[in-house]
Amino acid sequence: MAEIMVKAEHIEKSFGSTEVLKDISFTLEKGKVLSIIGPSGSGKSTLLRIITQLETADGGSLTIDGDPLFKSEGGKAVYTSPKEMHSIMLKTGLVFQSFNLFPHFSVMRNITEAQRAVLSRSKEEAEARAIDVLKDMNLLDKADSYPSQLSGGQKQRVSIARALVMDPKILFFDEPTSALDPELTRQVLSVIKALSERDMTMVVVTHEMNFARSISDWAIFMENGYIVEEGEPEVLFGNPKEERTKAFITSFKE
Amino acid sequence: MKLIEQLLSGTVTSIEVFFLTLIMALPLGFLVALGRMSKVKVVRVLVDTYIQIMRGTPLLLQLLFFYFAPYYIFNASLPRFASAILAFVLNYAAYFGEIYRSGLQALDNGQREAAKVLGFSKSYTFIHIVLPQVVKNVLPSVGNEVITLVKDTALASTIGVVELFRIAQTASSREFSTMPIFIAGVFYFIMNYLVSRVFDLLEKKMQY
Repeated sequence: MAEIMVKAEHIEKSFGSTEVLKDISFTLEKGKVLSIIGPSGSGKSTLLRIITQLETADGGSLTIDGDPLFKSEGGKAVYTSPKEMHSIMLKTGLVFQSFNLFPHFSVMRNITEAQRAVLSRSKEEAEARAIDVLKDMNLLDKADSYPSQLSGGQKQRVSIARALVMDPKILFFDEPTSALDPELTRQVLSVIKALSERDMTMVVVTHEMNFARSISDWAIFMENGYIVEEGEPEVLFGNPKEERTKAFITSFKE
Repeated sequence: MKLIEQLLSGTVTSIEVFFLTLIMALPLGFLVALGRMSKVKVVRVLVDTYIQIMRGTPLLLQLLFFYFAPYYIFNASLPRFASAILAFVLNYAAYFGEIYRSGLQALDNGQREAAKVLGFSKSYTFIHIVLPQVVKNVLPSVGNEVITLVKDTALASTIGVVELFRIAQTASSREFSTMPIFIAGVFYFIMNYLVSRVFDLLEKKMQY
């Protein structure tokens, strides 16, 4: 039996009177890649933000790598202790659409700061790890540059590196290429693809349909806070069962 | 040459007012910003009222108030110099507070979120991620205020603090000449030239 890395059951979330997530359940096994597609406002980002603890859920339960982050009790999501929440947070990494690199730090410091301050690694250890990852991404020559001196594609690769060096068990991508032009998008996608080939467990929210189809082991189509359809990427992207999924996928093929 | 000596001694007093005000108003402004953004409504309303009064009335009037009001209320007044410092500090802290607040609110929330998902503690995030960026962003506005302060110190003369402007005025009426006041103007200009150079250097140093 494969190890389950994410188990989400009946997750609910509202902002004021707007229900953003209505009943979200899915599981993700170790080493697998899940892609989540759907129109804007369907709740994809909110779902990632709940799993990475940038938002709190209202209801449901969520288990990350065997540790429960919150459980459903009396219809409400009850979170575990702050200490446990922190240790679960360290198992997840998040790559943002807008990179969110620290502009006042060099590339090297962007990648080493959290290793040292959060994981208490030594300077040498942190830098060695950073150099390894930067080499992989072909960015070693940019180690002393500042984010403002980088292209969008380079910035996004640095932000992936920043998440990777923390050795997360699961890496989440929130529309990682939506702020990039097609050429820079390719650079970033090839990095994510390389990670999937190394069996990194990942969840990718994206509008890049062909890419999602080629790297994922499982795909989810979300709309209005619900999972409309999920399945093998070949089926979901090639021959979806639901009319709404079909319409959404075709709109990208023009 | 005696005039220049007198003006220089007045300049020393002006510089004292300037630095004492900055040393207290710069950190106090931080408390004002926090109060203005407080989750407690009473605190927010109180701090907001304070800012409205400080920005909405002439600094000249505030100087007079802090010098004369204690006399009417407690039948005892503060020394002129202390009243002047009190008025300047309270006035400038209000302006600095608003500058800091806008700087804190202008910082992209993505910075705090990125820090959070990486596991940084709140205090680490504030000191190492938020503060350096906010300081850089507010530096030009703070510089503007500091330059205004150099000129505003002249207002202390109205409650009898013997500083540069007061001495120039006295010399002017004694000698029936506007020359001392012009010379004082040159002194203010030189001080502000130095202040703006310092801020240019700081801005350059913080560039990234």
